[in-house]
Amino acid sequence: MAVATTTTVDKEPARSVVRTPRRRKRPSRFTPGLVGSYALVLVYAATLVLPLYWLFISAFKSQLDAVDAPFAPTFSSGFDNLTRVWDLLNLGDAMLNSLYITAASLAVTLVIAIPAAYALARSQGWIATLFERIYAMGFLIPGFAALVPTLLLAIQLDLFHTREFMILYLPASAQPLAVILLTQFMRTVPKELEESATIDGAGRFRVLRSIYLPLTMPGIATISILNFISFWNDYLYTLVIVGANAKVRTVQVALPTLQGNQGITDYALVCAGTLISVLPVFLVYAVLNRRMESALVQGALKG
Amino acid sequence: MTAILDSPVVARPGGGKNRARTRDRGLIVFALPSVIWYLVFTIGPLAAMFIVAFMDWAGLAAPAKLNGTENVSRLLDDDRVLTALKNTGVHLAVSLPVIMVGAFMLGYFLNLKLPGHRVLRVIMFVPALISLSAMGMLFVAVLGPTGLVNSALEQVGLGEHATAWLADPTWAMPSLILVTIWSGLGFTGILFAARLSAIDDEIYAAAELDGANHWQKMWRVAYPICRDYFGVLTMLQYLWTLFGSAGMVLLLTRGGPGEATSTLAWLVYRFGFRSPEVGYSQTIGLVLFVLGIVGLVIIRRVFRARY
Repeated sequence: MAVATTTTVDKEPARSVVRTPRRRKRPSRFTPGLVGSYALVLVYAATLVLPLYWLFISAFKSQLDAVDAPFAPTFSSGFDNLTRVWDLLNLGDAMLNSLYITAASLAVTLVIAIPAAYALARSQGWIATLFERIYAMGFLIPGFAALVPTLLLAIQLDLFHTREFMILYLPASAQPLAVILLTQFMRTVPKELEESATIDGAGRFRVLRSIYLPLTMPGIATISILNFISFWNDYLYTLVIVGANAKVRTVQVALPTLQGNQGITDYALVCAGTLISVLPVFLVYAVLNRRMESALVQGALKG
Repeated sequence: MTAILDSPVVARPGGGKNRARTRDRGLIVFALPSVIWYLVFTIGPLAAMFIVAFMDWAGLAAPAKLNGTENVSRLLDDDRVLTALKNTGVHLAVSLPVIMVGAFMLGYFLNLKLPGHRVLRVIMFVPALISLSAMGMLFVAVLGPTGLVNSALEQVGLGEHATAWLADPTWAMPSLILVTIWSGLGFTGILFAARLSAIDDEIYAAAELDGANHWQKMWRVAYPICRDYFGVLTMLQYLWTLFGSAGMVLLLTRGGPGEATSTLAWLVYRFGFRSPEVGYSQTIGLVLFVLGIVGLVIIRRVFRARY
């Protein structure tokens, strides 16, 4: 958070130096309407922060405290809830399964999307146009639409209840966005660079590896971040295809099993489990926040 | 330019003019793995849906056979589908306008860069980072009988209003709608802020000279400029709400109490997996798909640039 603030701060002075009128209107900046909107935004922000705060403190409380003193950070049970839910849901294995599916899917996504983006960025024929159309349309098709038939496909391939089918499916679902975004990055690479490399005898793979890859690293980072979030967070497909078997299930599938038919009985336990499940993405966000924000914005902008 | 650069190639042994001329042609091969992969695992199943929708298929292990339009006529008489259609309508009619209008205003607000806007921006990102299952569990806990909301009511002396929000017939649907708004508003607001930041300050300055206040600048200046972007985000949010409700309903209410929160997407899931009638589930899926396309066309028309 601190890192993020500095980046905007050093933009501000430059702007106010250029535009003096800004300073003149400052006294009248806070109109009643604006104060009212600020209050509304704060209320919404509170609904975002308060549940997370409650989640966090409840994870470290005894079940009794969670009901009696819901807003006090008592830390009465230390890490008990966390270790208890970790063992109960076998979260160690679940983390490894999530990691396996996420990492392998990400690798496959990049390996097939990068050459495709290169091809689409540099080809002129009607086939390239057609492929680009397919992806532009595909971007709009919600994944949920084909949930059941995809399951049938998994059964046909004898990959039902395996993590491997997810490693085949997730990269496919990621192709439209990944290719569209990367193609735009690849188009910014000057053609002349490629031409002079070709004259020097570089083949296509060489051109891709030595020219396009290093120059489009920001784009590759963007799609890696986007897909890391969506692969790690995937719930419905993983639930239906991989299933809830403790050996192969992911964190996202393991977590809701805390809710029995009677709903939740142990709130502290559920909070501890949820906390553990959101931690990896939040940790990555803490490290990469600027980059992650721009990745998420770009990912949606291309719609 | 190309011609000049190409000429030396001719002189090279082994290179040749042919290769230079067909430089583009063979390149498309590089796109094939990606496209084939995509077609097999995404478009293929989607196409299969159109066949399965006309099948009598009890469960995943049961034999399947085509039964013509039987599923369709059954669907037209099915009260559960009608209820789900109504619920989907309510869900969309409330959450979509609130999210889109609210997010646009939020985006404008964030873009004013008032004190604290950086922190607010970080907070608004939260729903985009949390997985569906974590969000579901969070709200099951928040809205549960002894959850956050009821505890808060208790603390301020309104304990008699406490209820199991997700199991209460009157409150289940409003709860689902609120969770949808909660999860959609902040991130869409950030997207609008990104788009609005591309608008030149001079345009606002001109409007200010004419005495425009924030409300007027927001809807008379900023909105017309990013009208088509507003349309695109509305489409995405529409699809997300229409199809995405299945996962949220599964985690929060499982369509209940009774059928109070049973949406069309939920029925697709329910008939697909919980009480398996795979063929029928896909017939409903087809309805959902058609609704998706019709909605997109309408939204596109409404937000088409008017100039």
